[in-house]
Amino acid sequence: MASSSTNKFVLKSNDDVSFEVTEAVAREFQVIAHIIDDDCAKKAIPLSNVTGEILSKMIEYGKKHIEEAPVDEEDEEGKKKLQIWDEEFMKQFNMEIVFQLILASNYLNNKGLLDLTCCTVADHIKDMTPDEVRTLFNVKNDYTTEEEEEIRKENSWAFE
Amino acid sequence: MEPIPTDLIIEIFSRLPAKSIGRFRCLSKQWCLILQSPDFTELFRSCARPRLLFAVEREGSWSFFSSPQSSSSSLVLTADFHCGISKVESRFTCSYTSGLFYFSDLRIPNVDMSLVFNPITGQYVRLPYVEMLRKSRGFLGFDPIEKVFKVLVETYPFCSDRDHHEVLTLGTGELTWRKKKIDCPPYFRSLCEGICINGVLYYLVCSVFDLPNDVVCFDLRSEQFKLVVADCFDDPKTTKLVNYKGKLGGINFDYGKSDGMDTLELCLWVLEDVERQEWVNYVYTLPETKLIDNPFNVSVGGVTATGEIVLAMNYTYKPYYVFYFNPERNTLQSVEIQGFGADLEVGMYRGKVRAFVDHVEDLSVDDSVQLKSSISANPVKCLSSNCEE
Repeated sequence: MASSSTNKFVLKSNDDVSFEVTEAVAREFQVIAHIIDDDCAKKAIPLSNVTGEILSKMIEYGKKHIEEAPVDEEDEEGKKKLQIWDEEFMKQFNMEIVFQLILASNYLNNKGLLDLTCCTVADHIKDMTPDEVRTLFNVKNDYTTEEEEEIRKENSWAFE
Repeated sequence: MEPIPTDLIIEIFSRLPAKSIGRFRCLSKQWCLILQSPDFTELFRSCARPRLLFAVEREGSWSFFSSPQSSSSSLVLTADFHCGISKVESRFTCSYTSGLFYFSDLRIPNVDMSLVFNPITGQYVRLPYVEMLRKSRGFLGFDPIEKVFKVLVETYPFCSDRDHHEVLTLGTGELTWRKKKIDCPPYFRSLCEGICINGVLYYLVCSVFDLPNDVVCFDLRSEQFKLVVADCFDDPKTTKLVNYKGKLGGINFDYGKSDGMDTLELCLWVLEDVERQEWVNYVYTLPETKLIDNPFNVSVGGVTATGEIVLAMNYTYKPYYVFYFNPERNTLQSVEIQGFGADLEVGMYRGKVRAFVDHVEDLSVDDSVQLKSSISANPVKCLSSNCEE
């Protein structure tokens, strides 16, 4: 039987871009791991919710985390190197791309990338006003002026 | 832009600081409900990463900051400012547990008070007056099983015909001190700030009649006392009690000698077995560093959950450092902390720093102990520093 480093699989994005990846990288995404386990990965695996642009970035992330995986729990040096790479990796994206990465890593179920992208957004919005966040996430403000004043008063410590 | 579904926005929000959560409760009614729900509180707790908390005291103003707690990521970190109290006439003496401070004797002009205070939100509750000796201390503890905070104060610990201690439970509506007969053997007085580990409060005391010093163990649930002999500490007044991987530890930081050279030494005693009153000693010589020139400029902040001993500079020098000593690997990592602000970093007006490890933001704390008042919206003007400035 072929080892997971020689076994190859093809992932196909919703705009028809194909990527050949090793089994180890493919298995970084839980959903694809299940498809492989169910023996349904003979042909290219179609990913209807992910564009080629996003998929290529996700594969880049998956590859790095396979190649540079820390040796064990104690490998602080290895963890640190990967953490620095993660930070640099995220710097290249604008919020729109980060949002797409969140949706895609949730869809393909990669906990590491979901956590990383969520942290990136959290860091981006942490000092925003409620109005800015409403715009970003399409939240409709259903408070009346009086109600909003009241709730702001209750949480006044958070507005200093 | 493709909209993010609610469950993923919740994932994002759970990684925010508590302050942003407070602000985003104002987004809409639905978000207010979500962000106050027990499910979200639990998710928030599980995502929370421990932080270092700094209390900085300068000329009657106390300021509270926090920074990420990590020895392995960056070498420079920024501390966030949270809130401050101004016009304080008393020294910074406190008891810190699970995100809250208890100040037994906070003096601001014309008022003496004791309060439980959240340093992140600035919210607090004033406790009723309790009569105690001037040198007596109060200790805040958290019982993780019943999930309640309790305050224990020494009133007259050595008088045979008076109450030795009183206890108050927070979050029960009316706050009252209970003087129930608690059979704690008499001791002369407490020697240092206490620590709460897994629902038990510990503090060092000086015994009556020249007997060896003891550690008082107060179980918050049963409200029972136990004394453990602790004559191992040479200088108990400077001993820092720590949570050493779930056990009580005490650390003294001082000069040591190695090959005839002066070194810096951490002397740690761990209470290995409470029943058998068995203490185990570890002595660590710090790896050489130019950043610590003597043991009086640096204090032990505590021990992290992973067993690293955290040392923090005593004053807001620029650059300001905290140090993580890993006893197993004998490594000392220095991390520069920025962000105390020019006011605190200018030469002759430096602030005195107290550092606390493993601070975790917990959204449920304020609700459970009913910290209703806020220093930002307070009628006692003196408590509010930010508004005035």
